Amino acid sequence: MAKRVQDQKPARPADAKAWLKENIAEQKKRHAAIQKEMNEDIAAQREKWYAEFLQTIQTKGFNVTGDVRRVIKPSEVPKKPKRPDKVVF
Amino acid sequence: MARPHIEPYVELDTPYKKFDVKGFKGSSYKVLSLDTDTGACTLKVRFDGGYKRKPGLSYSDMEIFVLNGKLKVGKQTWVEGHYAFVPAGTALGAIEVPQGAEAIVMFNDSEPGFVESGRDHPLTLSEAYTSVNSYEDRPWGPGNLVSPSVASGCMIKVLHYDPITEALSFLYCMTPQFSQDNISYHDSAEESYHIWGTSWMMQFGELPTGGYFWRPPYINHGAFKCKYGTIAFGRTDSVLFNYFHFNPWTNPDENKRRAAAFLYRKRPQLYNWVESDGHNHPHGPPDFENPDYVDDPQVRMLHGKQVGSKR
Repeated sequence: MAKRVQDQKPARPADAKAWLKENIAEQKKRHAAIQKEMNEDIAAQREKWYAEFLQTIQTKGFNVTGDVRRVIKPSEVPKKPKRPDKVVF
Repeated sequence: MARPHIEPYVELDTPYKKFDVKGFKGSSYKVLSLDTDTGACTLKVRFDGGYKRKPGLSYSDMEIFVLNGKLKVGKQTWVEGHYAFVPAGTALGAIEVPQGAEAIVMFNDSEPGFVESGRDHPLTLSEAYTSVNSYEDRPWGPGNLVSPSVASGCMIKVLHYDPITEALSFLYCMTPQFSQDNISYHDSAEESYHIWGTSWMMQFGELPTGGYFWRPPYINHGAFKCKYGTIAFGRTDSVLFNYFHFNPWTNPDENKRRAAAFLYRKRPQLYNWVESDGHNHPHGPPDFENPDYVDDPQVRMLHGKQVGSKR
């Protein structure tokens, strides 16, 4: 096995452990707040954005690669599934 | 878990916290994202005027992007737009910040750490060290670095490239009135900090100056718009491949299966070999060109394996 600097790292000192514990707890709260805002609070607005997008790809077209576009036929347009929409995981 | 999905996070209204860890006293920080297992993190750091640090090293790869101000680092002066990749164990010169500076600071393998030393660690991969003024010393290139590619109007400056994982660190910009009408996801995690400007993604709305995201693999993002232009610093943790589609409701599991279907169609021999009995190497198959790649910390991180000391 090749030796790496990272594997020579001394054990985590107490101040680093405390720093991690504090910041992991804060990140957990931040993540929960972001999930709520994105998955719930702006969900109705996002449905409108999705509807506009599905119209755009049937008129202006969908960017296949770079500036190459393909107009999507109505029969190809995806249907909204019954499950709740989620964008932050 | 590794880093959670932080998107969007606009840090400008969050107060700085005093950085009371060895090597950082005299500075303040905000966590943008943090790996809850390894301590790897992306921070916004404010170095107060008068900050000084002796020469030293970290046991983690470190990246820094200077947002404003001036840092004297050894014999160099780093000003806004300066980018450095400092491999684990490579000693940086003494740091002095006469009048204050702000930077995005990234520790890729473990929590922030500092050991005073005037010499490199004997195992450091010092050839990977990069130090460049990204604003002045690198040209903008078209975004078709990868294919399928982004639309015209999204440009890139590659600042660091990991030859083992193909992870990238880069500046990117979107021109005024940029738009791209597709939904994208990648096999890699993706990270961005908006240095200036506002862009819009269909899932998350507007991301303004100071906006940040850390997005794990296979998560939908886009369509994209940018009204007045944006410049941002970005990274991936492995190869960047754009899977484009137009179904807003797919989830990461469905996206991952679609990515595997690409592999099945486009690299059938490889797909069949990997999935066949006895070839599903949990530790990675041998690579005659890179025989030690399984020990690479970045590769281990990607596979959720231990890097550095345990908690």
